[in-house]
Amino acid sequence: MKRRWIILVGWLLGTVLHGEAQTNAHEGLVQKYCMDCHSGKDPDGDMDLSGTLIDWQSPETVSRWETVHHMLETQEMPPDDEPQPTAEERQAMLDWLGNELTEHGKIGGTVPRRLNREEYENTIRDLFHDPDFAVSNAFPADDSAHGFDNVGEGLVLSPPLLAQYMELATQIADDILPPDSGPAVAKPQEYAMEPDGFTEDTGAGAAFSKDRFRLASSLNMANSAAWPARFEAAQSGVYRLSITAMPFQTDKMFYQKRQESLQLEVYARRSAEQVYDVFDKLRALASFEVDPEQALPQTFTCEVTLFKGEIFGLRWADGPAYSDGQVRAYSRTFLAERLTKNRRFYAAMLKLKGGRRGITQSEYYEEMNALIAGDDLDLKDSQLDALPQYWGGGLSDAPHNWIKAYVLEEMHRHGPALDVLSAEIEGPLSLVEDDESRARKARAALFLGDRPAEVADRDFVETVLRRFLSSAFRRPIDDDTLQEYVNLAMQGSERLEDGLHLAVRRALVSPQFLYRSLRPGVLDTSDLAARLSYFLTSSPPEESSSLEEVSAEVLERESLRLLQGERSVNFVRSFTGQWLGTRMLKDIMPDPRLLQFYDQDRRAMIAETELFFTEMLEENHPLVNFIDPDFSYRNANLNKIYGGDVQGSEMQRVALERGGKHGGVLGLASVMMATANGVDTQPILRGVWLLENVLGSPTPPPPADIPAIAPDTSGARSMREQLNAHRADVSCARCHNRIDPLGMALENFDPVGRWRDHYPVYTKPEDGAKRLKEEFYANKGPATRRGPAIDATGQLPDGTRLESVIDLKRYLVENMDLFTTCLTEKLLVFATGRPLSFGDRRVVEQIVHQLDPDQHGLRDLIVALVKSESFRTK
Amino acid sequence: MKTNINTTRDRRAFLKGLGVSLTLPMLESLGAASPAAAPKRLVVVGTYLGFHQSDFFPHQVGRDYGLSPVLEPLAGFRDEMSIFSGLDHRGRNGHEGWKAWMTGNGARSVSMDQLVADAVGDQTRFASLQLTCGRPPSGARLSHTREGVALPMIGRPSVLYQTLFRSGSDKARIDYLLNSNASVLDGVLDEAKSLRRRVSASDKRKMDEYLASVRDVEKKLQKQRAWLNRPTPKVDYTLPEFDPVAPDLSLECESIMYDLMALALTTDSTRVLTFLVPGWSQVFDINGRKLSAGYHGLSHHGNDPDKVAEYNLVGKEHVKRLSRFLDHLKAHRDADGQPLLNSTSVLFGSGMGDSNTHDNSNLPTLLAGGGWRHGSHHQIDREAGTRLLGDLYLTLMQRMGVKVDSFAGAKHNLNEALL
Repeated sequence: MKRRWIILVGWLLGTVLHGEAQTNAHEGLVQKYCMDCHSGKDPDGDMDLSGTLIDWQSPETVSRWETVHHMLETQEMPPDDEPQPTAEERQAMLDWLGNELTEHGKIGGTVPRRLNREEYENTIRDLFHDPDFAVSNAFPADDSAHGFDNVGEGLVLSPPLLAQYMELATQIADDILPPDSGPAVAKPQEYAMEPDGFTEDTGAGAAFSKDRFRLASSLNMANSAAWPARFEAAQSGVYRLSITAMPFQTDKMFYQKRQESLQLEVYARRSAEQVYDVFDKLRALASFEVDPEQALPQTFTCEVTLFKGEIFGLRWADGPAYSDGQVRAYSRTFLAERLTKNRRFYAAMLKLKGGRRGITQSEYYEEMNALIAGDDLDLKDSQLDALPQYWGGGLSDAPHNWIKAYVLEEMHRHGPALDVLSAEIEGPLSLVEDDESRARKARAALFLGDRPAEVADRDFVETVLRRFLSSAFRRPIDDDTLQEYVNLAMQGSERLEDGLHLAVRRALVSPQFLYRSLRPGVLDTSDLAARLSYFLTSSPPEESSSLEEVSAEVLERESLRLLQGERSVNFVRSFTGQWLGTRMLKDIMPDPRLLQFYDQDRRAMIAETELFFTEMLEENHPLVNFIDPDFSYRNANLNKIYGGDVQGSEMQRVALERGGKHGGVLGLASVMMATANGVDTQPILRGVWLLENVLGSPTPPPPADIPAIAPDTSGARSMREQLNAHRADVSCARCHNRIDPLGMALENFDPVGRWRDHYPVYTKPEDGAKRLKEEFYANKGPATRRGPAIDATGQLPDGTRLESVIDLKRYLVENMDLFTTCLTEKLLVFATGRPLSFGDRRVVEQIVHQLDPDQHGLRDLIVALVKSESFRTK
Repeated sequence: MKTNINTTRDRRAFLKGLGVSLTLPMLESLGAASPAAAPKRLVVVGTYLGFHQSDFFPHQVGRDYGLSPVLEPLAGFRDEMSIFSGLDHRGRNGHEGWKAWMTGNGARSVSMDQLVADAVGDQTRFASLQLTCGRPPSGARLSHTREGVALPMIGRPSVLYQTLFRSGSDKARIDYLLNSNASVLDGVLDEAKSLRRRVSASDKRKMDEYLASVRDVEKKLQKQRAWLNRPTPKVDYTLPEFDPVAPDLSLECESIMYDLMALALTTDSTRVLTFLVPGWSQVFDINGRKLSAGYHGLSHHGNDPDKVAEYNLVGKEHVKRLSRFLDHLKAHRDADGQPLLNSTSVLFGSGMGDSNTHDNSNLPTLLAGGGWRHGSHHQIDREAGTRLLGDLYLTLMQRMGVKVDSFAGAKHNLNEALL
């Protein structure tokens, strides 16, 4: 919108070029409102605006008038106690100045910007060959400026953050250059455990029974296993483990007496703290056959490897398996067997269901048996003829969990079971190297590289540091700095490793590592390689890549290469997360009265956005598809949002009709959710968002004393009525004439992006607060009535009439420059880490001018951007 | 049967022989020695799975209240404690709401203890310490920084012990790191100054930001080096062979953590401690009786009287351990000859109100020590809506020197109940 205004006003007022006089109109305005203070021998703020000639060629002049523009725009000038220009006069000055400055303003202005959290992590991972490196949760989040968290102004360095960097630097250095701890020596321990030495947890299929631990067979070890409560391997090594076990079988078992041996398995677990592990993901250590005939304790011994911190877990591997995520088929067979053998059993199960809240396994077993033995069962129920289909959920909701409780209890009381009577562990008998220390040594070797025999200490250190510092500082290291670091490493350290440790710690907190866009002047190949790489992959340039020269061809080639690489997913995630707001979704809790919304639904929404953007990038579809595409990505989770009947949890490409209500940035559920508050929609918020992120003409913030509008959920006043009220004031209308019609056009999307034709009205439950919880599960009955119909119509300032979002989309398609300019600006801010200067806006105009939105796509846009003067200027 | 926890170590013998030999005078400020002097230490203890409210709060108000069975172990401390019912933050419910216990807001804001740590923290080696038993249930958090980032908690007694009473080789390493870090900072300071000379005016501002941070960290580093040169207190305490981090040993871990907390306070290693007492589905064995269900299951008792009774047994075990901790603090004298308890505010309770329904209103709140005016059960009228739990926090914080007028929606303190 604003762009058209500038061009229109500029044309009407006549262009002011290169030293020509200010037109009378503007000279008059500047004279009237500014000259009293800003002229003469000692102008206020050293700002002299007198003179009829403006020399737009002089950078100083341009800079001065940029300040004037800023002051006028923020209404800081004229000061509150001086006569104020009218709104029209102010706008006229701004438009005129904006036009001039865009034409003559300088390009560039990125301030030194430190690596943000994601960039820091990716950089360390590359630098030290450690793909698992991550900063701790205690690391502070970065602040955004101008919409993105990689803009210099926002990336502040505070003392606590620097302290954290220092701490991390020490940890990283310790990892590859550990202090000398002397040769490792095995320190043997011995530990014996009686049955009470094993951990007892409910949900545990293994249970403590008199003087033994009774094992069951689930893959989920919390349901079946035994593990020591106290023992932890202090060193990685070989341990001798003996276990005494025996079978438990009685005549009261449901099963036939077992003929084959019972298999006792031993696994390694990571720690005693954690209760939940799944067996098929653990390292198997040993396996024993327990003789079913021998009703005496049998002892088994083995030597196993345990890594530092690990403990062992015991399981009976081949009993009647139950409640296994992977093996539901096995338990289904078991269940069928059980149900076909005893109809009363099934009837009891259907009657008792999961029992009452808090029921224990033992209580459930006894109540089931009471029902089976009694005469309170409906044996003619037709459900008894079909097996239950539903297998998931918690104890009170799922047949297979009810059965689990019964069967496990039965096996504990009557068998079959495998009892563990005691265990003993001794070791380490010898030490072993664990995976972690092996990986660490590999990283250290990569860091140090080869050392040929005849190379002197200092030369070796210099070689290592030359390579490391060039990589860390993202440019070939200069000799002076290199020697400084080498001296640091060589002085006062007995071991070379210790000296290098010190050098690494210093490099990782040096401004040359932490900051980009540091050097003044023209960007050279190193600067551009880094800028390009962090733009398109949020990572430092790979060692193998380099720009041989600063030229359009090289930049194009390199950006295409990066876009095709796997790391471009970082760009997609980071850019869409901030531009389209998907990062905010994790903090929004949709009102349960709207729908039940789970994490996987949220993930699907985000995936749709990212996959859509990725395809726009990879296939280079014409830019017009951002507004009106014929595809999107969905899975079954999104059916509740979009209607539709997509099957499965995998995201799939779906075809859309062009000109429809869904699809594109104006139809994405993620955008609708990010621009609402989870409970109600806020048309003003959405209108402002559209102006900022799609049309590229943001409005200034509202005056400080305007309260937010609280939606009238009783439905007495429509949103439209409330909005109309504040447009009665001319000064409010100036912005709201632009905001409101856009926001209202999106009113058909509810706070989670579903299409609606009426506002919802929530009914109050009749019996007070207690019922309200029932309402929370929308699928348990209607909790809402239909409210007033939604009126999404509106009129844009240029007279265009909108009936709904579909008209808005058509309008944008017919005026693609608006969106293309906006997207280009956003990408440029993200790429250069600075708010756009006036000169940059000129460059953006040129880029947009070159592109045909019906032919050129996102990839073309990015390449044009990278080749532009704005990208190549600091 | 499981070994009875109560006889694992002889508590009385331990108390008598609390072997703390300090080569360092207590770093008390030489202020008024009167009992009404402001408290200098803060301890916050919260149980993750809460308490049964009607068996925690007394049924009478004022001074002549009957102590519930769950709080019975605190009978000897009636005159040194106050109980508050009806207080909460009016915030979100559920396990999520527990996180807000010390922050009040639930998301991205600082916890009360950290504000206190900011005010008194630089007088001790550790500004504050955050503790738990083993690995806390996922999502369980207590202390948060100003940015709302949850602080990690030490869950292993051996790690806490090592942190407080470092051994010789550890010390040498730390000494080396601190000294060499000083030269690291010197070096990068020079690098930055040299860069600053060459860059444009607007870029200089960013370099100034960096330089200011380096100088600030340098100062803190010097302080840390000064601390390192002071002798570490020597204590005579035996840890068990293995850290009792398995969930069903958590009551044992709790006892040891309390012992180490007492040592941390008596050696003035820190003056702000928070302790999250966790709960999972572990099956406890209490006084020879194995409970019929896991701890979490008991907290969802469904108002079954048997389950409630067992839930209360666990609750009482927590209170017993608190009581022993208060005993230690009372037995130790500070530099003014006063019991350490008199200058230590101990806030005990939970961020969970009714664990059965996951309701976070009417939070169990008990304040002991600290030199406050104690002895009553204060029943706050929740319906009137004028008092918040944050009011109590304001009292605690203000008396410890934190300059704060509002917290977690609370705008006035609760001084009239405690001063």
